Amino acid sequence: MSEAVEQREEEQTEEIDLEPANRVIDKFIDMPGNLMPVLQGVQDEYGYIPRIAADLIAERLNVYPSQIYGVLTFYAQFHLKPRGRFIIRVCVGTACHVQGATRIVETFYDKLGIGHAETTPDLRYTFEKVACLGACGMAPLAMVNDATYGSMTVQKVEEIINDYNQRPLKSGK
Amino acid sequence: MVNLTIDNRQVTAPRNATIYEAAKINGIHIPILCHDNKLKPFGACRMCLVEVEQMKGRQIPACTTPVTEGMIVTTSTPDIIKARKLVLELLLLNHPLDCPVCDKGGDCDLQNLSYDYKISSNRFHDQKFQHKIDYNNPLIERDMNRCILCGKCVRICDEIVSFGALTFIGRGIETKIGCEFDEALNCEFCGSCVSVCPVGALLARPFKFKARFWAMEKKRSICGYCGTGCNLTLGVKEGKVLTTVYDENQGFHRGQLCVRGRFGYQFINNEKRLKKPLIRKNGALVECGWDEALQLAASKIRNGSETAAIATPRLTNEEFFLFRKLMKGIGSENFDHAAGYAHKALTSGFARSLGSAASTAMVNDIQKSDMLLVIKTDSYETHPVIGFEINIAVKDKGVKLNIVSDKNGKLGKLPGARTFVHLPGSETLLINALCSSVIKQKLVSSTAASLPDFKEYAKGIEAFSPEKAASLCGISPEEINSLAADFASSKKAMILFPTGVAYPGHDSELATALANLAILAGKVEGEGCGLLCLPEKNNSQGAVDTGFYPTGKGLDALSVFDAIEDGRIKTLFLAGENPVVSYPDEARIKRALEKLDFLVLTTLFPTETAEYADLVLPASSYAEKEGTFTSAGGHVQYFAPVIPKAGDSRTDFEIISSLIKLTGGEAASNPSEIFAEIASTLDGYAGMTYENLGENGAFTAVKTRPALILPQTQAPALRKPEEFSLVTGALLYHNGTLSQFGEGPMHVSPESYAEISRKDASRLGIKENDTITLTSDSGSMQLAARVSLRIPEGVVFIPNHFSANPVNAIWSGKPVTPVALSR
Repeated sequence: MSEAVEQREEEQTEEIDLEPANRVIDKFIDMPGNLMPVLQGVQDEYGYIPRIAADLIAERLNVYPSQIYGVLTFYAQFHLKPRGRFIIRVCVGTACHVQGATRIVETFYDKLGIGHAETTPDLRYTFEKVACLGACGMAPLAMVNDATYGSMTVQKVEEIINDYNQRPLKSGK
Repeated sequence: MVNLTIDNRQVTAPRNATIYEAAKINGIHIPILCHDNKLKPFGACRMCLVEVEQMKGRQIPACTTPVTEGMIVTTSTPDIIKARKLVLELLLLNHPLDCPVCDKGGDCDLQNLSYDYKISSNRFHDQKFQHKIDYNNPLIERDMNRCILCGKCVRICDEIVSFGALTFIGRGIETKIGCEFDEALNCEFCGSCVSVCPVGALLARPFKFKARFWAMEKKRSICGYCGTGCNLTLGVKEGKVLTTVYDENQGFHRGQLCVRGRFGYQFINNEKRLKKPLIRKNGALVECGWDEALQLAASKIRNGSETAAIATPRLTNEEFFLFRKLMKGIGSENFDHAAGYAHKALTSGFARSLGSAASTAMVNDIQKSDMLLVIKTDSYETHPVIGFEINIAVKDKGVKLNIVSDKNGKLGKLPGARTFVHLPGSETLLINALCSSVIKQKLVSSTAASLPDFKEYAKGIEAFSPEKAASLCGISPEEINSLAADFASSKKAMILFPTGVAYPGHDSELATALANLAILAGKVEGEGCGLLCLPEKNNSQGAVDTGFYPTGKGLDALSVFDAIEDGRIKTLFLAGENPVVSYPDEARIKRALEKLDFLVLTTLFPTETAEYADLVLPASSYAEKEGTFTSAGGHVQYFAPVIPKAGDSRTDFEIISSLIKLTGGEAASNPSEIFAEIASTLDGYAGMTYENLGENGAFTAVKTRPALILPQTQAPALRKPEEFSLVTGALLYHNGTLSQFGEGPMHVSPESYAEISRKDASRLGIKENDTITLTSDSGSMQLAARVSLRIPEGVVFIPNHFSANPVNAIWSGKPVTPVALSR
């Protein structure tokens, strides 16, 4: 690992283990056009792209840090802040809106104490309003990671939160 | 060449040209916002839309479309005009109309095009941006509200400067230009981004509210800092230089400048400039008239055998030529420049190895080469615009880059670049090892093998086999062999190395070793081949060409100080030099200056050396005089005065000319006559006149006569474990001590520091900016620590530019000075 990154590692307040990021970089280091797969791989490991990981990638791939930031902000798929273990998406598209999505959203806000595109301090939940999830027949619709919850009600919001509150915070990895 | 039709005209253009370039070559103007002739086509602004008949009348961007045979292009139709108007309307939707207070007014491409296309109203309405303006650095203001996203700043910082400070952040309407994680700009501050910005989004802060663009005269000149010889266009109003103006067609560097060239001009109009001669009376310097001053100087220097002169390599060729005449006239052989050793690579090394004291390569060979061998990564700091040439060569032309250096640096980050970090002071040894390896690997060129001295040399160089040299220079035999093979087997290869007062190790021996390497590999001459010495100052090469250094029994600069101490020299004439700060061993220099009977100094500023002078003569800067400078690679360029002389100052030419007359000699009274004399006496300058130098200048003719000579090589003294090796060098922001009087460089690099490795810092418990004490045999000093990644363990680097706390308090002037370091 390069000294520049070592130095930033010393300065950072929270501990981030760079071993997983190094592993991803090792895998793609000799591949032309490796920036995207590296960034995606690193995000898979951490759930977001930590600043120090971006510096490490810049250093090891010999890409300007600014260029990495350009790519990270261009694509909606990359996140620069830690994301929750469970990503809750509530559809506010036309069909869901008509079926009362606004109340569902507000109930989530209320119960989780966070707003749109925000993450709870314990990193359990990230909440997002989305335009359409493509299942209007199930309106109003919510998703938690890959699981779908149709015909949402205020009661169901509480059930979902209770359910996910029980689940372990660390993923299987 | 390709034949095509543009606007009903039959024209021809190079095969790889774009429609935009083809039109430009043929004098047809196509409006554009995102194009610069140094940058790759980008196609961002859509102003250059044209119609091509073969493409069914579709509108296509001229700047990204290559020409084809028989293409029929129309650059202006009612439809195209409509489309361009739409582009401008959309840009003006978000661009603030604050032109009355924008410094770009009058020089703004968007403003000019809006005027050309009569955009007096806008069919659309939207809010203006509310981005925060970046005022976090003193040189470059970034107002992203004015940005039109042409991407020129992003591209120039990547393609040419290779720093990559800027990027496009976000996408769609929210896109803006910024740095990583949207932080404040923190870069080299070369201002390249400012120079190409078509609007007022990036501005030079020192020029803010100084003058409207159209109120300034734009005058051509040559940069007065380093030996690159960059051309400048200076913005002048009421006899003052207010800014540098970008001209993409100027010079080999196409208008590209570094931080000191672009922002360092303020020394010219600095308030501290001396305006009247000063004479020492009763211990104090008081103003006096020129007649009195010159009479006194003439009477003191008349006794030539006890008089010596040392000049700064910033004088013009004409001044050096005249100065030499003056010294010869009074019967003195004791004249020199640049501390007497900084020119030895040329005057002694190249002179004996190559037959003339000049480089065999030119700056424009860099991009034509296959491989560059750069001695010291500092080449980027000493000659930044040559650094840009290297960047372009490596990134755009695929030229290989190998660096041997005592520290890491920015050049080493270029794609594919290899840096061989050797122990400080072992340069010559390492180059000898490369030579030995070339012979061992049987890669010697036939011309070298047939040289009469080859056998003897080959025998002598065996002592420097890679195996023997490895431990002394810290580079493995395998690496030495691979680098030697790489250099010798490249079809075209070039060697670049800086010289200067701060680089005592870059001496005649290193120059000879490098010449040997080039000779052995058959790379002495030809396109993309040769040796390019990068001399420190704007006219270092000229000082050498005009012979302003001692030959025979004349004393060199440092010997002059010895001679002063033992009473042989009683009068010293310093032209522009500031040895108290820039020469090794401050205490010794001061001791000698105190002992002098008479010290006369021509200078722009009341320097530290002026405190020892009996007579101080105010000199004129390059912007106030006429003459020629010869830069790296023998490029002779003419420049004319752009402003009147400051106060009662006189040019060194006038001063020396008067002194010649007062000491009974005869001399031409204007520079052009002296240049004619130079052209008729110096072979390299034969046929040159001010008229035929024109705007592009000319290159000196160099005759080479290669000889293989074994350099005297000393193994670097082994460092005691508790000691550090002090190496001095240049910073990107400064050149000599002159740049201290330019506001721009001082804004970003105001004071000296001692740079040490991270490992040493943590071992000694030193943190960034801690005050550390450095002690050598000659003295002791305290400096702020800079903890860095590029310095190897056991090495401390201190820049040599600063008058406050100068490094020569502890610096011996040897390639490496052992120092003790403590908190």
